[in-house]
Amino acid sequence: MGVQVSEQTKTEHRWGMAIDLDRCTGCQACVAACHAENNLPLSDPQSAAKGRAVHWIRVDRYYEGEFPNIRVKYMPVLCQQCDEAPCEPVCPVYATYKNAEGLNVQVYNRCVGTRYCGNNCPYSVRFFNWFDPAWPAPLELQHNPDVSIRMSGVMEKCTFCIQRIQRAEADAKSEKRPLADGEIQPACVQSCPAEAMVFGDLNDRDSKVSRLAESGRATRLLEELGTKPKVFYLQKAE
Amino acid sequence: MERRNFFKILSTVSAGIAAGSCGRKSDVLIPMLVSDREIVPGHEQWHPAVCGECAAACGTIVRIMEGERVIEQGGQKFRQRIACVKKIEGNPLDPVSGGRVCARGQAAVQSLYHPDRLHGPLRRKGARGSGEFTPVSWDEALAAIAEGLGKAKTSDPDKIVFLTGPRPGARAVAIQKFLAALGAPAALTCSLGSLAVERKAAESVFGWKGIPVYDLARARYVLSVGADFLGSWASPVYYARQYGEFRQGRPGVRGRLAQAESRMSLTASSADEWFALRPGSEPAFTLAVARLLLDDKLARNPEQLPAPILESIRAADLNAVILRCGVDEGRTRRLARELGESEAPLVIGGASIVQTNSLQAIQATHYLNLLLGNIGKKGGILAPSPEFSAIPENAGAAAIRSARVLFLDRQNPAYTFPFAAGVTKALSDIELIISFGGFIDDSTAYADWILPDHHPLESAAAVVPAVSSRPAITVAVPFVHPLYDTRPIEQTLSDIAPKANLGLELVTPKAYAEPLLPGDRTWDDVTRQGGLWMENPENPPATKVAGLKPEWPDAVFSGDAPRFPLLFQPYLSLQYHDGSGANLPWMQELPDPASSAMWDLPVEIDPQTAIRLRVATGDWVRLESPAGSLEAPAYVHPAALPGVVSMAIGEGHTRYGRYASGRGANPLSILAPVFEDSTGALAFGATRVQLARLEQKPRELIQFSPQDREQGPWGYR
Amino acid sequence: MAATPEIIPYSEVRHDLWRPLYGASPLYLTVVFCLLAVALWGMFCWGYQLHEGIGVAGIRRPVFWGFYLVDFVFWIGISHAGTLISAILRLTDAQWRKPVTRAAEAITVFALMIGGMFPIIHLGRAWIFYWLIPYPNSRLLWPNFRSPLLWDLTAISTYLMGSTIYLFLPLIPDVAQLGQHATGWRRKLYRTLSLGWTGSDREWDALERAMKLMAAIILAVAVSVHTVVSWDFSMAIAPMWHSTIFGPYFVVGAIFSGIAALLVVMSIIRKTLHFERYLTPHHFNNLAKLLLLMSLLWVYFSVAENLTVWYGNEPKEMQVFGARSRGNFAPYFWVMVFCNFVVPFILLGIRRLRSIRTATIAGVAVLIGMWLERFIIIVPTLARSRLP
Ligand SMILES: Nc1nc2c(c(=O)[nH]1)N[C@H]1C(S)=C(S)[C@@H](COP(=O)(O)OP(=O)(O)OC[C@H]3O[C@@H](n4cnc5c(=O)[nH]c(N)nc54)[C@H](O)[C@@H]3O)O[C@H]1N2
Ligand SMILES: Nc1nc2c(c(=O)[nH]1)N[C@H]1C(S)=C(S)[C@@H](COP(=O)(O)OP(=O)(O)OC[C@H]3O[C@@H](n4cnc5c(=O)[nH]c(N)nc54)[C@H](O)[C@@H]3O)O[C@H]1N2
Ligand code: SF4
Ligand code: SF4
Ligand code: SF4
Ligand code: SF4
Ligand code: SF4
Repeated sequence: MGVQVSEQTKTEHRWGMAIDLDRCTGCQACVAACHAENNLPLSDPQSAAKGRAVHWIRVDRYYEGEFPNIRVKYMPVLCQQCDEAPCEPVCPVYATYKNAEGLNVQVYNRCVGTRYCGNNCPYSVRFFNWFDPAWPAPLELQHNPDVSIRMSGVMEKCTFCIQRIQRAEADAKSEKRPLADGEIQPACVQSCPAEAMVFGDLNDRDSKVSRLAESGRATRLLEELGTKPKVFYLQKAE
Repeated sequence: MERRNFFKILSTVSAGIAAGSCGRKSDVLIPMLVSDREIVPGHEQWHPAVCGECAAACGTIVRIMEGERVIEQGGQKFRQRIACVKKIEGNPLDPVSGGRVCARGQAAVQSLYHPDRLHGPLRRKGARGSGEFTPVSWDEALAAIAEGLGKAKTSDPDKIVFLTGPRPGARAVAIQKFLAALGAPAALTCSLGSLAVERKAAESVFGWKGIPVYDLARARYVLSVGADFLGSWASPVYYARQYGEFRQGRPGVRGRLAQAESRMSLTASSADEWFALRPGSEPAFTLAVARLLLDDKLARNPEQLPAPILESIRAADLNAVILRCGVDEGRTRRLARELGESEAPLVIGGASIVQTNSLQAIQATHYLNLLLGNIGKKGGILAPSPEFSAIPENAGAAAIRSARVLFLDRQNPAYTFPFAAGVTKALSDIELIISFGGFIDDSTAYADWILPDHHPLESAAAVVPAVSSRPAITVAVPFVHPLYDTRPIEQTLSDIAPKANLGLELVTPKAYAEPLLPGDRTWDDVTRQGGLWMENPENPPATKVAGLKPEWPDAVFSGDAPRFPLLFQPYLSLQYHDGSGANLPWMQELPDPASSAMWDLPVEIDPQTAIRLRVATGDWVRLESPAGSLEAPAYVHPAALPGVVSMAIGEGHTRYGRYASGRGANPLSILAPVFEDSTGALAFGATRVQLARLEQKPRELIQFSPQDREQGPWGYR
Repeated sequence: MAATPEIIPYSEVRHDLWRPLYGASPLYLTVVFCLLAVALWGMFCWGYQLHEGIGVAGIRRPVFWGFYLVDFVFWIGISHAGTLISAILRLTDAQWRKPVTRAAEAITVFALMIGGMFPIIHLGRAWIFYWLIPYPNSRLLWPNFRSPLLWDLTAISTYLMGSTIYLFLPLIPDVAQLGQHATGWRRKLYRTLSLGWTGSDREWDALERAMKLMAAIILAVAVSVHTVVSWDFSMAIAPMWHSTIFGPYFVVGAIFSGIAALLVVMSIIRKTLHFERYLTPHHFNNLAKLLLLMSLLWVYFSVAENLTVWYGNEPKEMQVFGARSRGNFAPYFWVMVFCNFVVPFILLGIRRLRSIRTATIAGVAVLIGMWLERFIIIVPTLARSRLP
């Protein structure tokens, strides 16, 4: 059964994503792309062993069945940009909140580091900066100037590549034209070789993401929690 | 094409020259006087490039923006504004990448800005392999090398060995010409991803030169035997794109995939049905399917198969054959029926893990495609596009052992050859070793001279992709200044030539590609879009099916079965490929798809063996083969075949920068030196091992997601 | 145990009770010095943490909350010793309470001060903790009143203020007494603190009424404080946190640990300050019975909490339940049960065994058990995230 997506809002856009698990191969190009785009802190063996490696998007792996009739399923998990985001109300300083386009945004400058939002995100997609990040020179030359480096003590997570959204909106505005469907591609979506991910405006009934989200294969992660994610998973069709 | 990408391409190279086509309003007109590399853009610019990380040679576009680097001069530090590479994406115009890149392709920028990159030419200071070098000038290095080469040229030029990557194109031609001038044999490769067996199989059955193209996107039912085409085989980005289309790209049609492979690879994970073949039973399995197709009268074109082969299939003892594969007969029957009944069946054959019988395994899949009438057909197997230059053959260990002079171009024989092949020892004895490496790796540590090549992102290039739906040469011109005092290999070779009294002209990518350009296009056109993409010929290359001996052998494994009861299957991983990606921190921290391991790679053990040996995930094991042993953490893999131990290749470098040196174990090192007969490719799946649990844990197994639902991480299930 | 209170002459009382105020024994100075060293070491560690990053504290994803918040909840719980107990006893007019209340009230104030430090130490960017304080900053940004952390901040600061007043009010007559007898700077200090108390009936009457009122208010505040602390957890949708029982469960736990702390502190004071005649077995006996009662209540709530989860058998909750009861948190869990139930039940439930010594032992056990309880509530839930 399809999921009701079309709680269209009054704001111009409501960004969402569809991830087709029938296309996803588990190749993790999306994971690397997110690192390249968003200046994610580098881990090292010591910090990784302490569970402090950062991946705003990860590919969860599930086994089903027993050998030899075993199946492996991959599922990319990033911030689900919940409409009813449990991470938001618990933040005492509004460092994480819902913006006008439905994004769950994270204001690094405002975050005091209570980590409450991390506890209350059922999808475990929030990452904390336990220390100041460091890049041995000249690795930092790769940094994306559109994305700020996060300091020690603040929370971070997938932003839906808000810098790309802003850029596209600004371009469209300066050219006095509406944004085209598919014009905005977050880095993970852009990289995905199998084109498993589709990003777009859920307010636009005709956008590709809206159509996929209303298709019979669409489900949402931990739907029972009522978080109303804006990431839709299209199940494998058999 | 999507609008954004369209603009990206338009606003790329030579904005000045191409001012008329300037896409974004916010773009600035850049004066024509300034060459591309002098521009330090405050706005992003996108330039086409070629991914240098594997033979797939995906066309990419690269985002350039200003950055600030610190340079030291006379003890003082200065900050310098330079154009920096920020992001690599796929070139949407490129027929291979179609605007996408894989994880390793993304991470290539980290080797450009790697803190351990070499800054200029070096001369060996310490003993061979010590990794101690002193900086020298190019002139000094080139003069010394020319002298050494001159001697070798006169005494025995046969013993000059040049190892390079399996990528046809301008560089391959430059090297070829250089070697010809020296009177030396053609360049060789020791890359595990050379696809030599695939090439040989296609040539032997169809008479094709190159790697066949599987038209996955238009197929309906696919059986893939031994080809991890979504993981690290052939052209992962190309096939993943095709796979997406195959599954969900056609309204109302969903392609079905059956994977026959002895490991739960990425492709096997994605498949609807996985046939867990006993390692090395691929020919037998394919034979069984062929036989069933014939029995069910589902073979469309039996007459295309040479008669002896057809007879051999008909004569096969089906039960015995299926028994050899260790798969369920009912499922195999169903597979054959579904394949045969499909509108557009396709059989993909590859040797993701090379066995002694890989040639026959792939040939067998070609026979299946012949039976199904798939040759040159929509949704079938297509003839390869021309390669426009020679391809290096696989280097046998003997060639390296007997070398007097050895050139290393991004090849790491000390890592990729089993220790027992004696290559590492040979590296200590070779008279003259010249490496073009940008890093000191396992092999470069033995070099007498290091003449660092530009990073691929700093060089001009013209490369022919391994797999392409149409004839293609992917090209790039430089768009950022080289960071250090490095030189492209083509340049270095032509600089050595006069000093060694060789007649050699410089082969630049431009010089290489220009003769191939169709009349209506210029080099500038081609560099602006990132490649020369030609139309497929009206008449595809002729297919002449050769009359081969019908052979369906099982693979041979080295080691005595009672003592070494387990089969060892090292494989190319999506993070490290053949180990070359291990120096990049993004790849080290990319969780392994199955075990979620980071910064190390575990030995994958099936649950039965694990119970027998009392091994749990995270415990350490010793893996012993007739040729050596290694110690590594274990991962109990619920989908591993009983009695088969796998391990991803990539860790275990003695030297390879700060992120890879001395980390983990190299599974290749303990292999028996067994090579595939027809190609000399290392048969890295042909060794038996035994396994023992270690009492101590030298380190914890680092996993990004230790919480499998299958095994509670906190001890409670 | 003795039942009839002893009548002690007033001058003797004054002598005994005031003794510690004049002159410090070497032992006392040593203890103060040691504690100072501990405090300085703590400050140094905190400085190190501020400099290096909160990562030095060993917390990791997904267990974002660790020892600091365990300590926070524990100490806020201890703070219920005082005010709550003394207020209950005051409102129920339990006469035996009198020698107990002062210690109890002091524990409250100090425990709150300690407990209040931990959320700040816990912050990733502790230097801007004041952004949680509800005032419109230069950009007219208020904090988020929907966040339980803000309720926490409000409740705890109210409680700190209330309990300070509650400690201070009954101190007034005593300080006035001291003021009369002291000399020099002490006289000045006590005079000021006594707010001009003369000891008139009107004043006594006002004080009595104020105390009755404060007792009622502080009771409500105390209950609400620990309820609000519990809501830090139960408002989250994490398995085994999201529970309606947490409010009363935490309050009961708080009183329980508070009484335990009180027992331990009283027996230390009794020993070191030789207050054997003032803190009599009678007091300990009564407090011990109270502790036993709270232990039973705690067991009741714990059973209610765990039984419903177990019976409901919801997979995510069961993961946490299993990790607690059978997984690798089990040792902590069962030590907690032992300390919080078995020890007080045996030592205090069997009348023959009940003595000052056993009451103190039970108190120590309960303190350990209640710290473990806070740990068991906070950590296993976070360690078992819903997705891998
Ligand atoms: N290197 C560099 N320097 C620059 C610029 C640049 O781009 N790069 N830009 C320049 C420009 S245009 C500007 S406007 C200035 C901006 O300079 P600043 O005003 O210093 O701006 P921010 O760095 O955003 O820092 C604002 C501070 O406010 C804190 N903050 C966030 N919320 C609150 C709150 O509720 N209360 C209080 N008290 N503090 C809060 C943040 O943690 C941060 O420390 O920088 C100028 N300098
Ligand atoms: N995440 C995050 N976002 C923020 C802020 C933040 O703290 N955090 N701060 C906000 C604030 S306070 C500000 S002021 C804005 C700043 O936002 P912007 O105004 O976008 O500031 P810059 O990034 O400095 O971009 C200025 C651009 O002008 C170009 N430029 C430089 N010199 C010249 C010139 O002489 N002529 C022309 N035509 N172009 C030139 C530069 O190359 C650069 O591309 O960002 C706001 N956005
Ligand atoms: S890049 Fe695409 S196919 Fe690969 S793991 Fe991510 S979503 Fe799946
Ligand atoms: S997925 Fe987590 S972080 Fe993202 S909006 Fe939902 S609750 Fe918040
Ligand atoms: S960690 Fe930062 S964003 Fe998260 S709740 Fe605390 S202050 Fe808010
Ligand atoms: S949308 Fe952007 S930030 Fe989010 S996971 Fe993808 S690449 Fe990362
Ligand atoms: S498949 Fe090979 S060439 Fe293509 S992006 Fe990946 S590493 Fe680069």
